[in-house]
Amino acid sequence: MAQNEMLAMILAGGRGSRLKDLTTKVAKPAVYFGGKYRIIDFPLSNCANSGIDVVGVLTQYESVLLNSYVAQDGRWGLDSKDSGVYVLTPREKADEGLDVYRGTADAISQNIDFIDNYDPEYLLILSGDHIYKMNYANMLDFHKENNADATIAVRPVPMKEASRFGIMNTDGNGRIVEFEEKPAKPKSNLASMGIYIFSWKLLRKMLIEDMKNPDSDHDFGKDIIPRMIEDNRGLFAYEFKGYWKDVGTIDSLWESNMDLLDPKNPLNLGDPTWLIYTEDVSTLPQYIGKEAKIKNAYITQGVRVEGQVTNSVLFTGAVVGPNAKVTDSVLMPGVVVEEGATVTRALVAENVRIGKKVKIGDKNSENIELVAKNVKGGTK
Amino acid sequence: MAASAFGIVSSADNTIHVEGLHDYRPIGAFSFLGRFRVIDFPISNMSNSNINRIQVYVRSRPRSIAEHVGSGRHYNINSKRGKIQLLFSENSSSRSIYNNDISAYADNLDIIQRMHQDYVIIAPSYMVYKQDYRQLLDEHISSGADITCLYHKVDNAREYFRNCHTINVNRQKGVQSIDKNLGTANNKNILMDTYCMKRDTFVELVKDASWMSSMYTLADIVNIMCKQMDVRAYQHKGYFATLTSLEDYYHASMELLDYDTASDLFKAEWPIYTRTTDSCPTQYYDTAKVTDSFVSNGCKIEGTIENSVIGRSVVVRKGAVIKNSIIMAYAQIEEGVHIENAIVDKWAHIIHAKNIVGEPDAPQYIKRNDTL
Repeated sequence: MAQNEMLAMILAGGRGSRLKDLTTKVAKPAVYFGGKYRIIDFPLSNCANSGIDVVGVLTQYESVLLNSYVAQDGRWGLDSKDSGVYVLTPREKADEGLDVYRGTADAISQNIDFIDNYDPEYLLILSGDHIYKMNYANMLDFHKENNADATIAVRPVPMKEASRFGIMNTDGNGRIVEFEEKPAKPKSNLASMGIYIFSWKLLRKMLIEDMKNPDSDHDFGKDIIPRMIEDNRGLFAYEFKGYWKDVGTIDSLWESNMDLLDPKNPLNLGDPTWLIYTEDVSTLPQYIGKEAKIKNAYITQGVRVEGQVTNSVLFTGAVVGPNAKVTDSVLMPGVVVEEGATVTRALVAENVRIGKKVKIGDKNSENIELVAKNVKGGTK
Repeated sequence: MAASAFGIVSSADNTIHVEGLHDYRPIGAFSFLGRFRVIDFPISNMSNSNINRIQVYVRSRPRSIAEHVGSGRHYNINSKRGKIQLLFSENSSSRSIYNNDISAYADNLDIIQRMHQDYVIIAPSYMVYKQDYRQLLDEHISSGADITCLYHKVDNAREYFRNCHTINVNRQKGVQSIDKNLGTANNKNILMDTYCMKRDTFVELVKDASWMSSMYTLADIVNIMCKQMDVRAYQHKGYFATLTSLEDYYHASMELLDYDTASDLFKAEWPIYTRTTDSCPTQYYDTAKVTDSFVSNGCKIEGTIENSVIGRSVVVRKGAVIKNSIIMAYAQIEEGVHIENAIVDKWAHIIHAKNIVGEPDAPQYIKRNDTL
């Protein structure tokens, strides 16, 4: 099935420094989520499910793992002829110096040659660090119906929180008349989700101009979108009502995992018509031991539970030893909670070992405790 | 250059019939431990042993095997240098006594003769074990034998390993004869229907067998030939199960609920590959009580599960109790249902039948798609 009418570019260069030790060695889009996934599985699976064939992933920060991860495009079914996932890191070019991506728009500008190979009608810009399920084909239909130059996905946020977001002010027809980044006095509650569809011809022209502009930050939100509004282009807000989360902090990453514990959670990862695809693993199914007690949990294959698990999400290969108690916590892949240890309101990073009888976290803590290093157990 | 072998995954012959389950698919396609199918074991063994040309023989009902094996990409076989071929017998009647392994090989003899590898490893799609076939091949070559077959010493042949063959070996591990396991003694050497030999030897055996009798199986012809050829046995150690009857299948699944036994079969350095279904993790509700069980992904569990194997995307509603049972993918067990010592096939929906209880040595079988 060849189409390539719309090409997708995923901005995955950010570090996500508020995720602290989780992103010292990997970029934020490669961070684990929901038992078996990585964050970037969401935009990639959305692309695959929306019938997009070619996806460019723009990486920069600590990208070795991320690059090798997304390069295996068969995981998302994007390995047929005319389709693929391509890693686009900053590269040295013949007539310029080696450039890092200076901003979100610059990351696209530096890959105009790649995009031109496919000669798309439309370009979809996505962020690699959000959790949501969305059919971009519907958004493209909306873009075409409005004969738009750009369509920006927005979601309503509570009015009192609107000053934390990039807010789109629209007229009665959904046309964007003003864009305000973190306004002190917001006029609307429609927050930009960082998802854009552009008609490529126009964007291409604007990007080339923007590259030469020394005063530009080369950013979509700060430069390109305001410029388009100024030029009186047709920009439309596409309202999205489903589950969406920016898992930018340890607390929000934890919370977003906890959302999955509600069997009626709106993300509904079990929907067979919109699966999220990820790396395949060769493990046993989950093994629940003779003395195990599990209540309200989200557990994936390869996990072994001998102790107690309550209100928690357990990722591939995590082990909860005998008499260990894991409550209100997230155990990332390969975490071992040894015999008699307790873990409460914590997020334990990949392959961390919590020693025998160790106590981590507190049920009344304000913030979620991040455990990123092994904790040695009691000696006795 | 080291000697190389291609692989043949064989299909169970028509003397083997597993009640219920077998009506819907060949044994190779039986679900095993929730997320696997039986055929994942021989193919993964071959893949892990660097065998990347594999022929899978399908004797009947090819759909589920064809769907599961597909291109073989998930078995980690190089997509250019390697290949998995599904091969079929021309004799399409699955019940026919002439539709056996030899007739399938004879029908595809030209393909077998064209293989570039000098040796062949033949392994069954109806047994579960872990074996590095490179060791078997090395042993075969260094011993100078014509045929080397794999066997396992068991101490419960009266009760289990039905429809299997036993071998009699002399002190030099020479095979004297191959017999049916008639349950006459507990201590037996079970033939694992796994052979290593030269490709040309194999071709001759197939030709000889078809010439002598169209009812002969590979085991029959090897039995006859062990009088005149050098047939040796190589002992397999580790976990071994045959899935040649409903009781054997049930027994094997229950045995692996012991985590130490299961971890002997599943080692990180010897992965068992399977086809992913991309199901999400399993949801345990507030009311869930699960112990001593293997649970696959995609399930919704509100009820009680003890000592059982739960397949993918199974739903167990509040108050339902499942004990010592195997529940296959997409089955739904509604409120208040009690299931014990049973095997519930795929897509079954248990609503009104509140008590489904079998015997520990004779599990109750619930048909695929049944609504009870």
